[in-house]
Amino acid sequence: MSEPEEIRIPRFDAYERVMHWMAALSFGYATLTGLAIWSPKLYWMGTMLGGGFHIRGTHPWSGVVFAVMIGVMFRRWAAGMGLDADDRVWLTRLHKYATHDHGALPPSGRFNAGQKMLFWSQVATTLALFATGVVLWFPESMPRPLRLASIALHPLAAIGSITSILVHIYMGTAAVPQSMRAMLRGYVVPEWARFHHPKWYRAWRASHRS
Amino acid sequence: MTVAKLIDTTLCIGCKACEVACQEWNDQEYTLGTFGGTYQTMPDLAHNFWNLIKFNEMERDGGTSWLMSKYQCMHCAEAGCLAACPAPGAIVARPNGTIDFVQDNCIGCGYCITGCPFDVPRLSPTTKKVYKCSLCSDRTAVGLEPACIKTCPTNCLTFGERDELVRIAEARSTELKADGFADAGVYNPQGVGGTNVLYVLKHASEPEQYGLPKDPQIPLSVSLWKGPMKWLGTLMFWGTILGTFVHFVIYGPQDPAKHGHPEKEDEPSERA
Ligand code: HEM
Ligand code: SF4
Ligand code: SF4
Repeated sequence: MSEPEEIRIPRFDAYERVMHWMAALSFGYATLTGLAIWSPKLYWMGTMLGGGFHIRGTHPWSGVVFAVMIGVMFRRWAAGMGLDADDRVWLTRLHKYATHDHGALPPSGRFNAGQKMLFWSQVATTLALFATGVVLWFPESMPRPLRLASIALHPLAAIGSITSILVHIYMGTAAVPQSMRAMLRGYVVPEWARFHHPKWYRAWRASHRS
Repeated sequence: MTVAKLIDTTLCIGCKACEVACQEWNDQEYTLGTFGGTYQTMPDLAHNFWNLIKFNEMERDGGTSWLMSKYQCMHCAEAGCLAACPAPGAIVARPNGTIDFVQDNCIGCGYCITGCPFDVPRLSPTTKKVYKCSLCSDRTAVGLEPACIKTCPTNCLTFGERDELVRIAEARSTELKADGFADAGVYNPQGVGGTNVLYVLKHASEPEQYGLPKDPQIPLSVSLWKGPMKWLGTLMFWGTILGTFVHFVIYGPQDPAKHGHPEKEDEPSERA
């Protein structure tokens, strides 16, 4: 069953894959423990993860791990996350993307404009979560106005962050077949690259032929 | 029946017997008081010090007078601590109006400290749980009055049915007015639906002079967070989960073979 013909284009190296999955794991843990504290109806998730008293201690640490991983991601990817002219047009045709009318879309580079927006929104919400999270972490040494602001802004940022990650998970699992393999095994096939990221594919082919 | 504690600040002589009774009954470890240049035992409440007699100094008409006050949990009808608490069963509103902290269920997040408009709950550095006056719920449950009230030598403190105490407090402030204290009145702030700790004050229009907030309320950010934001979050999460699912059912996955891209035509096959 070997497919000697299959050509593999490297998409994410080991560093990027580890960084992504560490962020995903710490985010998942922070989300479950955070939501347990957010609503009494979801408190059972905290009970399953060791009880309320335990998760009150661990949640902030998982948040710190996540924030550090976002920092690592920023160093690695931020330079390539700026929107170019094609991306700007792409964003105005988001509905075309959602309805599979790919012919109407300008070509994307290594990341499409949607992925870039996710990146920047995660950077923003993580900054907000970190700043407000530290205030909630040490209530007794923080001034009251800061605590009052943080108690509302931390879950607000979390709602934004979790919602965009839900979309991200949908894209990575069901909506775009084979993207999961890119993040797990690190490579994609040319057909996939040419369809989803034409400009990135062309660059690869140019360097590959030389 | 709602019970209450009435503090007639005009009768307090600052003997601090109630502080001792509170420490004794609740079996608090002994901590050295802090000397702050006043007669006060401590500058502030602590996780193991739930009842503080304050010697508030008021400068008026060229003289200084003491406005005694007793600082402890107010057992609010609409309690900010309870509104903020995320742990089921950690803060309990008893049928008699007592707001009781149940440390076994407390997760130590400190949200109640932020939710309380009177700045009462205190986190213990050793157990990482919060503590405050329980209105001696372990005494009132068996028909005894709270320890502070039992011990007060001047009848400054009274315990009983709330409506009855409100009547007594009103009568007492009428009496004070007749005695020349025109500003006398009852402290029973309506912003938190009234409190089950009532005060008779000589200067009722200036509760700040006694260290009491003028118009305490559950903070706006706490109400927003526990109200509209809960709905927003629920809507966003379920909306996204349902929305992506419906999207998949309608459109299915992106497929390079079916959803051709212009690139596909003008690119030669990569194997060519
Ligand atoms: C970035 C570092 C973070 C820190 C330092 C932090 C810290 C905290 C703290 C101290 C609390 C109070 C309860 C507790 O201690 O468990 C809290 C609550 C919460 N956290 Fe975080 N957190 C962080 C990141 C996150 C992330 C990534 C999420 C998920 C997207 C999240 C979601 C929540 C939620 C939903 C709550 C409950 C808020 C509420 O009670 O309504 N946090 N966080
Ligand atoms: S005074 Fe503070 S701790 Fe006491 S019941 Fe009111 S909100 Fe809760
Ligand atoms: S510290 Fe304890 S009592 Fe206070 S809000 Fe958190 S869980 Fe509730």
